[in-house]
Amino acid sequence: MILTSGLLGLLYVAFGLVLLQFVGVGLVPMLLIIVALAFFQYYTSDKLALAAAGAKVVSREEAPQLHDMVERLCAMADLPKPKVAIMDTPVPNAFATGRSPKHAAVCVTTGLWERLEPKEVEGVLAHELSHIANRDVLVMTVASFFAMLAALLTRFGLYAGMFGGFGGGNRDSNNNSVPIWLIVIVVSFVTYILSWVLIRTISRYREYSADRGSALITGAPEYLMSALQKISSQITLIPQRDLREVEGMNAFFIIPARVKEGVNELFMDHPPLEKRLAALERIAREMGRPVS
Amino acid sequence: MGLRDVLFGRKKLKDPARERLFAISTARITLESELDLKPAGAAGVCFKSLSAGEFVRAENELQQLLDAVASESGSKVERHTDEMGFEWFVVRDGDFEDLVTTVHLIANELQDRGFGPQLLAALFPFEGKFKEGRVYWIYGFKRGAFWPFVPTGTDQERDNAEELELKAKLEQELPIEQDLTRWFGLFNAPL
Repeated sequence: MILTSGLLGLLYVAFGLVLLQFVGVGLVPMLLIIVALAFFQYYTSDKLALAAAGAKVVSREEAPQLHDMVERLCAMADLPKPKVAIMDTPVPNAFATGRSPKHAAVCVTTGLWERLEPKEVEGVLAHELSHIANRDVLVMTVASFFAMLAALLTRFGLYAGMFGGFGGGNRDSNNNSVPIWLIVIVVSFVTYILSWVLIRTISRYREYSADRGSALITGAPEYLMSALQKISSQITLIPQRDLREVEGMNAFFIIPARVKEGVNELFMDHPPLEKRLAALERIAREMGRPVS
Repeated sequence: MGLRDVLFGRKKLKDPARERLFAISTARITLESELDLKPAGAAGVCFKSLSAGEFVRAENELQQLLDAVASESGSKVERHTDEMGFEWFVVRDGDFEDLVTTVHLIANELQDRGFGPQLLAALFPFEGKFKEGRVYWIYGFKRGAFWPFVPTGTDQERDNAEELELKAKLEQELPIEQDLTRWFGLFNAPL
Protein backbone atom coordinates (compact mmCIF):
# COMPACT_ATOMS: atom_id res chain seq x y z
CA MET A 1 0.00 0.00 0.00
CA ILE A 2 2.76 2.42 0.97
CA LEU A 3 4.69 1.36 -2.09
CA THR A 4 1.66 1.74 -4.34
CA SER A 5 0.85 5.19 -3.04
CA GLY A 6 4.48 6.20 -3.29
CA LEU A 7 4.63 5.02 -6.87
CA LEU A 8 1.40 6.82 -7.62
CA GLY A 9 2.94 9.96 -6.21
CA LEU A 10 6.01 9.47 -8.34
CA LEU A 11 3.84 8.99 -11.40
CA TYR A 12 1.93 12.14 -10.57
CA VAL A 13 5.15 14.13 -10.20
CA ALA A 14 6.50 12.75 -13.45
CA PHE A 15 3.23 13.61 -15.20
CA GLY A 16 3.39 17.18 -13.91
CA LEU A 17 7.01 17.55 -14.94
CA VAL A 18 6.35 16.29 -18.43
CA LEU A 19 3.45 18.69 -18.83
CA LEU A 20 5.57 21.53 -17.54
CA GLN A 21 8.81 20.80 -19.29
CA PHE A 22 7.91 19.49 -22.68
CA VAL A 23 4.38 20.57 -23.40
CA GLY A 24 5.16 23.98 -21.95
CA VAL A 25 1.96 24.33 -19.95
CA GLY A 26 2.10 27.40 -17.71
CA LEU A 27 1.19 27.71 -14.04
CA VAL A 28 -2.38 28.89 -14.61
CA PRO A 29 -3.44 26.12 -17.06
CA MET A 30 -1.72 23.66 -14.77
CA LEU A 31 -3.77 24.85 -11.80
CA LEU A 32 -6.90 24.70 -13.93
CA ILE A 33 -6.18 21.10 -14.83
CA ILE A 34 -5.70 20.20 -11.18
CA VAL A 35 -8.90 21.99 -10.15
CA ALA A 36 -10.80 20.31 -12.98
CA LEU A 37 -9.51 16.92 -11.92
CA ALA A 38 -10.48 17.56 -8.30
CA PHE A 39 -13.98 18.64 -9.36
CA PHE A 40 -14.38 15.67 -11.64
CA GLN A 41 -13.40 13.38 -8.80
CA TYR A 42 -15.76 15.16 -6.44
CA TYR A 43 -18.78 15.23 -8.71
CA THR A 44 -18.52 11.70 -9.97
CA SER A 45 -17.37 10.18 -6.69
CA ASP A 46 -20.52 8.11 -6.15
CA LYS A 47 -20.59 6.56 -9.61
CA LEU A 48 -16.82 6.34 -9.87
CA ALA A 49 -16.39 4.47 -6.60
CA LEU A 50 -19.27 2.09 -7.30
CA ALA A 51 -18.01 1.34 -10.79
CA ALA A 52 -14.44 0.88 -9.61
CA ALA A 53 -15.57 -1.60 -6.99
CA GLY A 54 -17.83 -3.45 -9.41
CA ALA A 55 -20.86 -2.79 -7.22
CA LYS A 56 -24.42 -2.87 -8.51
CA VAL A 57 -27.18 -0.53 -7.36
CA VAL A 58 -30.13 -2.62 -6.20
CA SER A 59 -33.81 -1.75 -6.14
CA ARG A 60 -36.14 -2.27 -3.23
CA GLU A 61 -37.51 -5.45 -4.85
CA GLU A 62 -34.06 -6.97 -5.17
CA ALA A 63 -33.02 -6.40 -1.57
CA PRO A 64 -36.02 -5.45 0.56
CA GLN A 65 -34.40 -6.16 3.94
CA LEU A 66 -31.35 -4.09 3.14
CA HIS A 67 -33.52 -1.21 1.94
CA ASP A 68 -35.64 -1.39 5.09
CA MET A 69 -32.56 -1.28 7.23
CA VAL A 70 -31.07 1.71 5.40
CA GLU A 71 -34.40 3.56 5.59
CA ARG A 72 -34.72 2.99 9.34
CA LEU A 73 -31.19 4.22 9.95
CA CYS A 74 -31.65 7.25 7.69
CA ALA A 75 -34.77 8.18 9.63
CA MET A 76 -32.75 8.00 12.84
CA ALA A 77 -29.87 9.99 11.40
CA ASP A 78 -32.13 12.51 9.64
CA LEU A 79 -30.56 11.84 6.24
CA PRO A 80 -32.07 11.49 2.78
CA LYS A 81 -31.96 7.86 1.66
CA PRO A 82 -28.82 7.11 -0.36
CA LYS A 83 -28.60 4.72 -3.27
CA VAL A 84 -28.15 1.17 -2.06
CA ALA A 85 -25.62 -1.05 -3.80
CA ILE A 86 -24.41 -4.60 -3.41
CA MET A 87 -21.05 -5.96 -4.39
CA ASP A 88 -20.78 -9.67 -5.05
CA THR A 89 -17.73 -10.80 -3.11
CA PRO A 90 -17.36 -13.13 -0.13
CA VAL A 91 -15.09 -10.66 1.69
CA PRO A 92 -17.23 -8.80 4.23
CA ASN A 93 -16.93 -5.07 3.72
CA ALA A 94 -18.91 -1.89 3.17
CA PHE A 95 -18.30 1.62 1.95
CA ALA A 96 -20.09 4.89 1.39
CA THR A 97 -19.48 7.45 -1.30
CA GLY A 98 -21.02 10.54 -2.86
CA ARG A 99 -20.37 14.29 -2.78
CA SER A 100 -23.34 15.20 -0.58
CA PRO A 101 -26.03 13.42 1.39
CA LYS A 102 -28.36 13.93 -1.57
CA HIS A 103 -25.95 12.28 -4.01
CA ALA A 104 -24.70 9.45 -1.89
CA ALA A 105 -24.54 5.69 -2.10
CA VAL A 106 -23.86 2.95 0.43
CA CYS A 107 -22.54 -0.38 -0.65
CA VAL A 108 -22.29 -3.66 1.23
CA THR A 109 -20.71 -6.87 0.00
CA THR A 110 -22.64 -10.12 -0.15
CA GLY A 111 -20.07 -11.50 2.28
CA LEU A 112 -20.97 -8.87 4.88
CA TRP A 113 -24.67 -9.58 4.48
CA GLU A 114 -24.22 -13.34 4.84
CA ARG A 115 -21.65 -13.48 7.63
CA LEU A 116 -22.94 -10.82 10.00
CA GLU A 117 -26.01 -10.76 12.19
CA PRO A 118 -28.63 -8.15 11.14
CA LYS A 119 -27.77 -6.01 14.19
CA GLU A 120 -24.12 -6.02 13.19
CA VAL A 121 -24.91 -5.09 9.60
CA GLU A 122 -26.93 -2.21 11.04
CA GLY A 123 -23.88 -1.03 13.00
CA VAL A 124 -21.73 -1.10 9.86
CA LEU A 125 -24.38 0.66 7.77
CA ALA A 126 -24.76 3.34 10.45
CA HIS A 127 -21.00 3.84 10.31
CA GLU A 128 -21.17 4.36 6.55
CA LEU A 129 -24.18 6.69 6.87
CA SER A 130 -22.18 8.73 9.37
CA HIS A 131 -19.51 9.17 6.71
CA ILE A 132 -22.21 10.57 4.45
CA ALA A 133 -23.60 12.80 7.19
CA ASN A 134 -20.10 14.07 8.02
CA ARG A 135 -19.52 14.82 4.33
CA ASP A 136 -16.32 12.88 4.34
CA VAL A 137 -15.97 12.72 0.57
CA LEU A 138 -15.95 16.53 0.51
CA VAL A 139 -13.45 16.68 3.35
CA MET A 140 -11.12 14.17 1.74
CA THR A 141 -11.37 15.78 -1.68
CA VAL A 142 -10.46 19.14 -0.18
CA ALA A 143 -7.66 17.57 1.82
CA SER A 144 -6.17 15.81 -1.17
CA PHE A 145 -6.66 18.90 -3.32
CA PHE A 146 -4.39 20.86 -1.00
CA ALA A 147 -1.91 18.04 -1.05
CA MET A 148 -1.85 18.17 -4.84
CA LEU A 149 -1.54 21.94 -4.75
CA ALA A 150 1.31 21.78 -2.25
CA ALA A 151 3.26 19.39 -4.42
CA LEU A 152 2.62 21.50 -7.49
CA LEU A 153 3.66 24.77 -5.85
CA THR A 154 6.88 23.27 -4.53
CA ARG A 155 7.76 22.27 -8.01
CA PHE A 156 6.94 25.67 -9.43
CA GLY A 157 8.83 27.38 -6.64
CA LEU A 158 11.95 25.39 -7.41
CA TYR A 159 11.49 25.82 -11.10
CA ALA A 160 11.09 29.54 -10.79
CA GLY A 161 14.09 29.75 -8.46
CA MET A 162 16.34 27.92 -10.87
CA PHE A 163 15.36 29.67 -14.05
CA GLY A 164 14.04 32.97 -12.77
CA GLY A 165 10.50 32.86 -14.11
CA PHE A 166 7.51 30.73 -14.89
CA GLY A 167 7.80 31.07 -18.65
CA GLY A 168 9.38 28.75 -21.16
CA GLY A 169 12.49 29.33 -23.27
CA ASN A 170 14.97 28.44 -20.58
CA ARG A 171 16.95 25.84 -22.39
CA ASP A 172 20.01 28.00 -23.08
CA SER A 173 22.56 27.04 -20.44
CA ASN A 174 21.66 23.76 -18.88
CA ASN A 175 24.89 21.80 -18.45
CA ASN A 176 23.81 21.11 -14.90
CA SER A 177 20.18 20.30 -15.66
CA VAL A 178 20.34 16.74 -14.42
CA PRO A 179 20.92 17.58 -10.70
CA ILE A 180 18.18 20.22 -10.88
CA TRP A 181 15.76 17.66 -12.18
CA LEU A 182 16.78 15.42 -9.38
CA ILE A 183 16.23 18.08 -6.71
CA VAL A 184 12.85 18.97 -8.20
CA ILE A 185 11.76 15.38 -8.13
CA VAL A 186 13.02 14.70 -4.61
CA VAL A 187 11.48 17.82 -3.08
CA SER A 188 8.13 17.28 -4.80
CA PHE A 189 8.11 13.70 -3.77
CA VAL A 190 8.84 14.52 -0.13
CA THR A 191 6.09 17.12 -0.17
CA TYR A 192 3.73 14.60 -1.61
CA ILE A 193 4.61 11.98 1.01
CA LEU A 194 4.09 14.49 3.79
CA SER A 195 0.66 15.49 2.51
CA TRP A 196 -0.16 11.85 2.11
CA VAL A 197 0.62 11.23 5.79
CA LEU A 198 -1.55 14.20 6.69
CA ILE A 199 -4.41 12.86 4.60
CA ARG A 200 -4.16 9.53 6.33
CA THR A 201 -4.25 11.22 9.70
CA ILE A 202 -7.38 13.14 8.76
CA SER A 203 -8.88 9.96 7.34
CA ARG A 204 -8.28 8.11 10.58
CA TYR A 205 -9.88 10.86 12.58
CA ARG A 206 -12.94 10.68 10.31
CA GLU A 207 -13.15 6.95 10.97
CA TYR A 208 -13.35 7.51 14.72
CA SER A 209 -16.07 10.11 14.13
CA ALA A 210 -18.02 7.67 11.97
CA ASP A 211 -17.70 4.97 14.65
CA ARG A 212 -19.06 7.43 17.20
CA GLY A 213 -21.83 8.40 14.78
CA SER A 214 -22.78 4.77 14.34
CA ALA A 215 -22.96 4.33 18.10
CA LEU A 216 -25.27 7.34 18.39
CA ILE A 217 -27.54 6.29 15.50
CA THR A 218 -28.01 2.68 16.58
CA GLY A 219 -27.64 3.33 20.30
CA ALA A 220 -25.80 0.03 20.52
CA PRO A 221 -22.05 0.27 19.86
CA GLU A 222 -21.51 -3.32 20.94
CA TYR A 223 -22.87 -4.59 17.62
CA LEU A 224 -20.47 -2.46 15.62
CA MET A 225 -17.71 -3.79 17.86
CA SER A 226 -18.58 -7.40 17.19
CA ALA A 227 -19.00 -6.63 13.48
CA LEU A 228 -15.51 -5.10 13.35
CA GLN A 229 -14.06 -8.11 15.10
CA LYS A 230 -15.77 -10.49 12.72
CA ILE A 231 -14.78 -8.54 9.63
CA SER A 232 -11.14 -8.37 10.59
CA SER A 233 -10.80 -11.97 11.70
CA GLN A 234 -9.41 -14.53 9.30
CA ILE A 235 -12.47 -16.71 9.68
CA THR A 236 -14.54 -14.63 7.29
CA LEU A 237 -12.06 -15.38 4.51
CA ILE A 238 -12.80 -19.10 4.54
CA PRO A 239 -15.38 -19.79 1.85
CA GLN A 240 -18.66 -21.54 2.61
CA ARG A 241 -19.04 -23.08 -0.80
CA ASP A 242 -18.06 -26.46 -2.11
CA LEU A 243 -14.94 -26.95 -4.22
CA ARG A 244 -16.96 -28.74 -6.87
CA GLU A 245 -19.35 -25.81 -7.23
CA VAL A 246 -16.63 -23.29 -7.92
CA GLU A 247 -14.32 -25.45 -10.03
CA GLY A 248 -13.81 -23.80 -13.39
CA MET A 249 -16.10 -20.91 -12.60
CA ASN A 250 -13.36 -18.30 -12.50
CA ALA A 251 -13.11 -18.53 -16.27
CA PHE A 252 -16.58 -17.02 -16.56
CA PHE A 253 -16.03 -14.07 -14.25
CA ILE A 254 -15.66 -10.84 -16.13
CA ILE A 255 -13.63 -9.36 -13.32
CA PRO A 256 -11.11 -11.90 -12.02
CA ALA A 257 -11.38 -13.07 -8.46
CA ARG A 258 -8.24 -11.14 -7.56
CA VAL A 259 -10.33 -7.97 -7.25
CA LYS A 260 -11.00 -8.85 -3.64
CA GLU A 261 -7.46 -7.92 -2.72
CA GLY A 262 -8.39 -4.39 -3.73
CA VAL A 263 -11.38 -4.51 -1.45
CA ASN A 264 -9.18 -5.27 1.51
CA GLU A 265 -7.35 -2.07 0.84
CA LEU A 266 -10.45 -0.06 1.63
CA PHE A 267 -9.54 -0.84 5.19
CA MET A 268 -5.99 0.41 4.94
CA ASP A 269 -6.78 4.00 5.81
CA HIS A 270 -8.53 2.93 8.95
CA PRO A 271 -7.08 3.04 12.44
CA PRO A 272 -5.98 -0.24 13.99
CA LEU A 273 -8.80 -2.42 15.20
CA GLU A 274 -7.77 -2.39 18.88
CA LYS A 275 -7.88 1.40 19.03
CA ARG A 276 -11.25 1.55 17.36
CA LEU A 277 -12.62 -1.08 19.74
CA ALA A 278 -11.21 0.79 22.74
CA ALA A 279 -12.80 4.03 21.54
CA LEU A 280 -16.13 2.29 20.99
CA GLU A 281 -15.90 0.72 24.41
CA ARG A 282 -15.55 4.16 26.00
CA ILE A 283 -18.59 5.37 24.08
CA ALA A 284 -20.51 2.27 25.13
CA ARG A 285 -19.68 2.98 28.75
CA GLU A 286 -20.79 6.60 28.44
CA MET A 287 -24.06 5.37 26.98
CA GLY A 288 -24.45 2.80 29.74
CA ARG A 289 -24.42 -0.13 27.32
CA PRO A 290 -23.19 -3.62 28.20
CA VAL A 291 -19.53 -4.13 27.33
CA SER A 292 -18.23 -7.65 26.98
CA MET B 1 -0.34 -18.73 -19.00
CA GLY B 2 1.88 -16.77 -21.34
CA LEU B 3 1.35 -13.28 -22.67
CA ARG B 4 0.19 -14.70 -25.98
CA ASP B 5 -2.54 -16.73 -24.27
CA VAL B 6 -3.67 -13.67 -22.36
CA LEU B 7 -3.83 -11.61 -25.53
CA PHE B 8 -5.83 -14.20 -27.39
CA GLY B 9 -7.94 -15.23 -24.41
CA ARG B 10 -6.79 -18.80 -24.51
CA LYS B 11 -7.07 -19.76 -20.89
CA LYS B 12 -6.21 -23.38 -20.36
CA LEU B 13 -7.14 -25.44 -17.39
CA LYS B 14 -4.16 -25.51 -15.14
CA ASP B 15 -2.09 -28.66 -14.88
CA PRO B 16 -1.49 -29.97 -11.39
CA ALA B 17 1.21 -28.23 -9.38
CA ARG B 18 4.34 -30.03 -8.24
CA GLU B 19 3.46 -32.97 -6.11
CA ARG B 20 3.59 -32.28 -2.39
CA LEU B 21 1.14 -34.95 -1.42
CA PHE B 22 3.53 -37.00 0.68
CA ALA B 23 3.83 -34.31 3.35
CA ILE B 24 0.62 -35.70 4.83
CA SER B 25 2.28 -38.97 5.84
CA THR B 26 4.66 -37.19 8.22
CA ALA B 27 2.00 -34.74 9.40
CA ARG B 28 -0.03 -37.73 10.50
CA ILE B 29 2.26 -38.24 13.48
CA THR B 30 1.66 -34.73 14.79
CA LEU B 31 -2.04 -35.09 14.18
CA GLU B 32 -2.10 -38.22 16.28
CA SER B 33 0.23 -37.18 19.10
CA GLU B 34 -0.92 -33.60 19.55
CA LEU B 35 -4.52 -33.58 18.40
CA ASP B 36 -5.56 -37.18 18.97
CA LEU B 37 -6.63 -37.52 15.38
CA LYS B 38 -6.24 -40.89 13.69
CA PRO B 39 -6.52 -41.64 9.97
CA ALA B 40 -9.95 -43.01 9.17
CA GLY B 41 -8.52 -45.78 6.95
CA ALA B 42 -9.75 -44.28 3.71
CA ALA B 43 -8.96 -41.53 1.27
CA GLY B 44 -10.55 -40.17 -1.87
CA VAL B 45 -9.43 -38.69 -5.15
CA CYS B 46 -11.99 -36.42 -6.75
CA PHE B 47 -12.00 -35.46 -10.40
CA LYS B 48 -14.36 -33.80 -12.79
CA SER B 49 -16.65 -35.92 -14.89
CA LEU B 50 -16.08 -35.75 -18.60
CA SER B 51 -18.03 -34.53 -21.56
CA ALA B 52 -20.19 -37.11 -23.32
CA GLY B 53 -17.90 -37.28 -26.35
CA GLU B 54 -14.97 -38.46 -24.33
CA PHE B 55 -17.03 -40.75 -22.20
CA VAL B 56 -16.42 -44.07 -23.89
CA ARG B 57 -12.70 -43.57 -24.15
CA ALA B 58 -12.59 -42.37 -20.55
CA GLU B 59 -14.61 -45.31 -19.33
CA ASN B 60 -12.07 -47.76 -20.80
CA GLU B 61 -9.10 -45.77 -19.57
CA LEU B 62 -10.45 -45.57 -16.05
CA GLN B 63 -11.17 -49.29 -15.90
CA GLN B 64 -7.61 -49.98 -17.02
CA LEU B 65 -6.37 -47.55 -14.43
CA LEU B 66 -8.33 -49.29 -11.72
CA ASP B 67 -6.84 -52.65 -12.71
CA ALA B 68 -3.33 -51.21 -12.86
CA VAL B 69 -3.66 -49.72 -9.39
CA ALA B 70 -5.16 -52.90 -7.99
CA SER B 71 -2.25 -54.98 -9.25
CA GLU B 72 0.38 -52.52 -7.98
CA SER B 73 -0.89 -51.85 -4.49
CA GLY B 74 -2.55 -53.82 -1.78
CA SER B 75 -5.20 -51.18 -1.14
CA LYS B 76 -8.86 -51.62 -2.01
CA VAL B 77 -10.03 -49.11 -4.59
CA GLU B 78 -13.64 -48.33 -5.51
CA ARG B 79 -15.20 -45.96 -7.99
CA HIS B 80 -18.10 -43.65 -7.18
CA THR B 81 -20.03 -40.86 -8.83
CA ASP B 82 -21.30 -38.28 -6.34
CA GLU B 83 -24.56 -36.32 -6.50
CA MET B 84 -22.76 -33.37 -8.06
CA GLY B 85 -21.63 -35.54 -10.97
CA PHE B 86 -18.00 -35.75 -9.94
CA GLU B 87 -16.04 -38.99 -10.09
CA TRP B 88 -14.28 -40.41 -7.06
CA PHE B 89 -11.71 -43.09 -6.46
CA VAL B 90 -12.08 -44.22 -2.88
CA VAL B 91 -9.06 -46.01 -1.43
CA ARG B 92 -9.30 -48.16 1.67
CA ASP B 93 -6.20 -49.27 3.52
CA GLY B 94 -5.41 -49.66 7.21
CA ASP B 95 -1.84 -48.50 6.70
CA PHE B 96 -1.65 -44.75 6.18
CA GLU B 97 1.60 -44.80 4.22
CA ASP B 98 0.11 -47.27 1.74
CA LEU B 99 -3.01 -45.15 1.55
CA VAL B 100 -1.03 -42.05 0.57
CA THR B 101 1.06 -44.04 -1.90
CA THR B 102 -2.04 -45.39 -3.60
CA VAL B 103 -3.60 -41.92 -3.79
CA HIS B 104 -0.37 -40.71 -5.36
CA LEU B 105 -0.44 -43.61 -7.80
CA ILE B 106 -4.01 -42.87 -8.85
CA ALA B 107 -3.21 -39.19 -9.36
CA ASN B 108 -0.18 -40.13 -11.45
CA GLU B 109 -2.11 -42.60 -13.55
CA LEU B 110 -4.84 -40.03 -14.17
CA GLN B 111 -2.24 -37.52 -15.30
CA ASP B 112 -0.52 -40.04 -17.55
CA ARG B 113 -3.82 -40.75 -19.25
CA GLY B 114 -4.47 -37.08 -19.86
CA PHE B 115 -6.92 -36.43 -17.04
CA GLY B 116 -4.49 -34.10 -15.18
CA PRO B 117 -6.44 -30.88 -15.70
CA GLN B 118 -9.61 -32.55 -14.42
CA LEU B 119 -7.96 -33.68 -11.22
CA LEU B 120 -9.55 -31.71 -8.39
CA ALA B 121 -8.52 -32.81 -4.94
CA ALA B 122 -7.54 -35.62 -2.63
CA LEU B 123 -9.41 -36.00 0.62
CA PHE B 124 -7.97 -37.49 3.83
CA PRO B 125 -10.42 -38.02 6.66
CA PHE B 126 -9.25 -38.25 10.29
CA GLU B 127 -11.18 -39.36 13.33
CA GLY B 128 -10.83 -38.14 16.89
CA LYS B 129 -11.17 -40.24 19.99
CA PHE B 130 -13.07 -37.59 21.91
CA LYS B 131 -15.06 -35.92 19.20
CA GLU B 132 -17.86 -36.74 16.87
CA GLY B 133 -17.55 -36.23 13.17
CA ARG B 134 -14.48 -36.21 11.02
CA VAL B 135 -11.71 -33.77 10.35
CA TYR B 136 -10.51 -33.64 6.77
CA TRP B 137 -7.37 -32.53 5.04
CA ILE B 138 -7.99 -31.60 1.44
CA TYR B 139 -5.09 -31.62 -1.01
CA GLY B 140 -5.70 -29.37 -3.98
CA PHE B 141 -3.73 -30.77 -6.91
CA LYS B 142 -3.80 -27.49 -8.80
CA ARG B 143 -2.48 -25.52 -5.86
CA GLY B 144 -0.15 -28.20 -4.57
CA ALA B 145 -1.24 -27.43 -1.03
CA PHE B 146 -3.35 -28.76 1.80
CA TRP B 147 -6.13 -27.12 3.73
CA PRO B 148 -8.24 -28.33 6.65
CA PHE B 149 -11.97 -28.92 6.38
CA VAL B 150 -14.18 -29.60 9.40
CA PRO B 151 -17.87 -29.91 8.51
CA THR B 152 -20.19 -29.68 11.49
CA GLY B 153 -22.67 -32.10 9.96
CA THR B 154 -25.56 -29.67 9.57
CA ASP B 155 -26.08 -28.25 6.09
CA GLN B 156 -22.97 -26.71 4.62
CA GLU B 157 -21.61 -25.45 7.91
CA ARG B 158 -18.03 -25.85 8.98
CA ASP B 159 -16.08 -25.27 12.15
CA ASN B 160 -13.80 -22.44 11.03
CA ALA B 161 -12.23 -22.03 14.46
CA GLU B 162 -11.01 -25.61 14.51
CA GLU B 163 -9.79 -25.31 10.94
CA LEU B 164 -7.64 -22.35 11.84
CA GLU B 165 -6.32 -24.24 14.84
CA LEU B 166 -5.36 -27.15 12.60
CA LYS B 167 -3.59 -24.72 10.29
CA ALA B 168 -1.63 -23.23 13.20
CA LYS B 169 -0.65 -26.65 14.53
CA LEU B 170 0.57 -28.07 11.24
CA GLU B 171 2.01 -24.99 9.60
CA GLN B 172 5.54 -26.32 10.03
CA GLU B 173 4.96 -29.71 8.45
CA LEU B 174 2.38 -29.33 5.73
CA PRO B 175 2.39 -27.06 2.70
CA ILE B 176 -0.79 -25.27 3.74
CA GLU B 177 -2.78 -23.09 1.36
CA GLN B 178 -2.11 -19.56 2.62
CA ASP B 179 -4.94 -17.94 0.69
CA LEU B 180 -7.87 -18.69 2.98
CA THR B 181 -10.37 -17.69 0.32
CA ARG B 182 -9.45 -20.90 -1.50
CA TRP B 183 -10.30 -23.21 1.36
CA PHE B 184 -13.35 -24.62 -0.38
CA GLY B 185 -15.01 -27.57 1.29
CA LEU B 186 -16.01 -30.97 -0.05
CA PHE B 187 -19.34 -31.73 1.57
CA ASN B 188 -20.89 -35.20 1.57
CA ALA B 189 -17.94 -36.98 0.01
CA PRO B 190 -18.62 -40.67 -0.71
CA LEU B 191 -15.97 -41.93 1.74
